[in-house]
Amino acid sequence: MTLSKEVYAEFEDVVGPEFICNDPAIMPSYYATEFAAVILPENTAQVQAIVKLCNKHKVSFRPVCTGWTGKFQAGVVLLDLRRMNRIIEINEKNMYAVVEPYVITAQLQAELMKRGLHLNVKGAGTNCSAMLRGHGHLDQSTGGDDRNHLAIEWVTPAGNIVRSGSLGSSDEWFCGDGPGPSLRSILTSATPPGVTPGVFTRAAMKIYHWPGPTKFPIVGNSPNYALSEIPANFMTRYYSFPTMEKMWQAELKIGESEISFELMGFNVAMVAANITTSNEEEEAAFKRLSKEVQGPGFLIILAGNSAADFEYKKRVLNHIVNAAGGKSLASLEDPRTEGILMCQCIRISASIRETFRPGGAFSSIPVMGQRDLTIKWAIGAGKAKEPLIEKGLIVDDGGASFGWGVEQGHLGKTEIFCKFDPQNAVAKQAVQAWHDEQSARAFKERYFALLSPGQPEEIGKALSNYHVWWNKLQKELDPNRVSPEGGALV
Amino acid sequence: MGLEQYKGDMDMCCRCSTCKFVPMQQVSGFQYANVCPSISKYDFHSYSGGGRLNIGASMLKNGFNYTHKLLDIVYNCQMCGACGVSCNYAMDMEVMAPITEFRIKCVKDGKTHPALDKIIAGLRKNDSMVPVTGKRGDWAAGLNLKDATKEKVDVLYYVGCLTSYDKKLQKLARSTAKILQKAGVDFGIAGDAETSSGGAAYEMGYEQDALDQAKKTMALIKQTGVKTVVASGAEDYQAIKVLYDKFKLKGDLKVLHIAQYIPQLIKEGKLEPKKNLELAVTYHDPCHLGRLGEPWVHWEGKKVPGDRFVFDPPKVYRRGTHGIYQQPRDVLKSIPGVKLTEMPRNKEYAWCCGAGGGVCDSNPEFAQWTAKERIEEAESTGAEALVTACPKCEKTFSAAIEANGSRLKVYDIVELVEQAIE
Repeated sequence: MTLSKEVYAEFEDVVGPEFICNDPAIMPSYYATEFAAVILPENTAQVQAIVKLCNKHKVSFRPVCTGWTGKFQAGVVLLDLRRMNRIIEINEKNMYAVVEPYVITAQLQAELMKRGLHLNVKGAGTNCSAMLRGHGHLDQSTGGDDRNHLAIEWVTPAGNIVRSGSLGSSDEWFCGDGPGPSLRSILTSATPPGVTPGVFTRAAMKIYHWPGPTKFPIVGNSPNYALSEIPANFMTRYYSFPTMEKMWQAELKIGESEISFELMGFNVAMVAANITTSNEEEEAAFKRLSKEVQGPGFLIILAGNSAADFEYKKRVLNHIVNAAGGKSLASLEDPRTEGILMCQCIRISASIRETFRPGGAFSSIPVMGQRDLTIKWAIGAGKAKEPLIEKGLIVDDGGASFGWGVEQGHLGKTEIFCKFDPQNAVAKQAVQAWHDEQSARAFKERYFALLSPGQPEEIGKALSNYHVWWNKLQKELDPNRVSPEGGALV
Repeated sequence: MGLEQYKGDMDMCCRCSTCKFVPMQQVSGFQYANVCPSISKYDFHSYSGGGRLNIGASMLKNGFNYTHKLLDIVYNCQMCGACGVSCNYAMDMEVMAPITEFRIKCVKDGKTHPALDKIIAGLRKNDSMVPVTGKRGDWAAGLNLKDATKEKVDVLYYVGCLTSYDKKLQKLARSTAKILQKAGVDFGIAGDAETSSGGAAYEMGYEQDALDQAKKTMALIKQTGVKTVVASGAEDYQAIKVLYDKFKLKGDLKVLHIAQYIPQLIKEGKLEPKKNLELAVTYHDPCHLGRLGEPWVHWEGKKVPGDRFVFDPPKVYRRGTHGIYQQPRDVLKSIPGVKLTEMPRNKEYAWCCGAGGGVCDSNPEFAQWTAKERIEEAESTGAEALVTACPKCEKTFSAAIEANGSRLKVYDIVELVEQAIE
């Protein structure tokens, strides 16, 4: 759908001619989709005006932030939120930060570290929006998902501005649940089912205590960054265990003892990716590390609030790991490698080296649920990867999955990747088949994975007809159906 | 091969947007997180490194549709290479090479920028990228320098077009010459025989003109018989050292930038900065001396069939790691009374001055916008002066300072060294 000159002019009046474009030349950079136009709003008022125009002319819209590869329908108006990039407030006393969508996590994190504070970093990476809701390596110490969203300013699909939580009754952002409308069940996430339609224009993110330096002492030139010294009372280790069961027991006890700053159930392929600067190095490191580990494992970062606290945490960790038969990966104890991994995991959240670098694309199935059960599912999904690895269709990662416990660790996230070359049609097809089969198996075993469009209905039937209620809500919120699924932050 | 050879690289772009920012570990706060002037000013993703690759990949596949907007995207890029550094922190793929090839293709297809056409017309006529006023060697009057085309010398000082002809910048040539004289270096200049290095023409997309200039310059160098060339312009240094090597024209010629040569002369005891200058400075890494100045890596190979983006033999990417970063800082630290404070964006992830890629001519307002941001960043360090090692940077910064009423002073590193050794 193309916009008529008159309609285009109406949008142009909102943002000015510099910030709207429908030239075909720019479309390949926006997901190779023929958007009706790409618009760059500057503030909530402009977003609202654009959304109202979309309703008036029955034009669909989608918002996007930094945005990895995405799928969009042609004819949609794309709201690139790049100009909405302000940190509105860092409230040290009440431990929250209010940001607009295009503040990236690395920016907010750096500002917070200067103030002895920190935030949950999502697995997507610090190059993504700080407002993104989801899970990350810090889930044990910060919680994940909706734990970290407080009050939210939301432009609904109909173009109304809704302010949730404390913002609904005052100008305060400190709480997502009141005094004022909670809307927690509506203001959800970018992951189906239950993607919030409309646009989040500002959100308060919960922030946490940071016992580390105001800035990491990085030396070297990219990509060979290292730390000149390991910060006081910090330690990074990778432990492998004789069995998955033992690993999970250790993970659970670490969660219960609340000693970890960051716990990430990396497989060794991911460790290899994060400590190396090229694909060739990574492949060699993976082979080397695979021989050093005794079985599945996790990476843990301890951060002591004092020397005594650090010693205590180390003692508890050693006790738990020893009891589970865990073994530290000796080659990662080298301070240089330890520092690389520490900084990489805290300041970047790993991400690109372990996902896109090897082949150019990856397919992922994340499942939430009770960790011991989802791990069992992931073992099956890993085994199903092995034929693809043998045929050379996907990158060899030993068929491993990864994941971590959230908070005390009983519940958590388990995820598995297939990394492949998207230009290889055979590989692409094989990975899609694997994804469909394993997602279906997850659903059958009652873990709710990231499903394809249409499947939320299937989930809904298993969850008190959730989808029926969600569809009714969507109809009320989006009477003109201008905000298709996937409308929240990316 | 042109752009086609980078199809695989362009297809690798995952649209992660890291090309817009300094490497994530180096993000030091809300401010100064951006690294690419083009996306920072024009905002549409198409102006980012990744966006350019997405467009290149698509147009290779679907044909080239040269709209006005496309050319606006193509020519509003300083070709500074910062996007590539940030991308290549994590990814194995070429970034700047396909962006450069895209521009070259535009020029070959006749989709040029009129302001750049004018510059190239001047180059073809006068062997100069800047307007010619007087003779190329006029700046050397009274210095009693050797003419390397007539006398045998150890080192050729390559001056460059801007420093040779721009009356305000000729002082840099004089300072450089005085430093070399003071150190007792047996050097000469080529005077009127010197021609443009062609580096700037290449970045503007005029590949054949750049090659013509490279051949002329190398012929001149061979004629002088020198084994070492010292350049005071970062762009020329990069052209002779890196670009000529890429096109297998450099041979075993040793190419040094003056900021690289001075610490060597100090170490050998030939120079001794003694005079106390009492100056708080910050240093701006010129793109062509830093990330773009790392040596060319000759490589030929094929992608290994299969799941990974790997090659046989393994490909070594130029990630900005091996640029000239430390030597200029060593020079500044060697000058008594000079206190160096770093800007938030430095070395391989320094913000560009704004002049590169022909932008100073094709879109002076954008060049000045970019320079203004750097001036503000320099001021944030508390420095009294911004020191650089490139005449184009100095010219662009000086104009921005004048336009914005900043108190900051701009010096080329040779100006401070000259003062310190007097």
